[in-house]
Amino acid sequence: MKFAIALFSAAHAPSSRRALLFAQAALAGGHEIVRLFFYQDGVFNASDAVVTPQDEQDLPKQWRAFINEKQLDGVVCIAAALRRGVLNEEEAKRYQREAISLSAPWELSGLGQLHDAVQDADRLICFGGA
Amino acid sequence: MSTLHVLSHSPYGDDRLSSCLRLLGSADAVLLSGDAVYALQPDTVPFSTLQERAIRLFVLIEDAQARAIEIPDWAKAIDYPAFVELSIHHAKVNSWL
Repeated sequence: MKFAIALFSAAHAPSSRRALLFAQAALAGGHEIVRLFFYQDGVFNASDAVVTPQDEQDLPKQWRAFINEKQLDGVVCIAAALRRGVLNEEEAKRYQREAISLSAPWELSGLGQLHDAVQDADRLICFGGA
Repeated sequence: MSTLHVLSHSPYGDDRLSSCLRLLGSADAVLLSGDAVYALQPDTVPFSTLQERAIRLFVLIEDAQARAIEIPDWAKAIDYPAFVELSIHHAKVNSWL
């Protein structure tokens, strides 16, 4: 079974952790994740600038490790990321910003990538809100 | 074609649960996660509403345990692997974001 997973909430929201646990369980169950798409505040999960308090789950770190280990496609909505100051090297240069807060394995791309993933997947699962 | 409805907000903060129940199809199921598990707090309106509707109700067990919510025998506690299987069992998954 092929899953597309979309995440709409920031790294400190409980729903971000649920998305990660679901994704891990999907792969452990022998299923495939065609794409992880990070939209709206979900882009903060991909930010290198997030510093998580020591006694809390470090979701940006856990997502990065998971995506690297499983060689997944982690796509961050470019419009949502730019407006929240989450920029990769290319965008920082384009908009003359000092801070670069997004790097591989994350990829900035458009909403079309979510649409494309949904076409390819058997199920779209969205996480967000509380 | 059935839908799994995933709720994560407290039933005391908004109308998601009642809106969801209003449009729930006969083959649909509801999964309570996060603060939505507070709907299973005994002696409350959400609790009796769910009990009376006799819907197919699932609860993410770690979210219930984290909030000391006991799961009644008319609901089923599930873990993440079961959540994945539940999402496959239904044609669509609708998250009430």
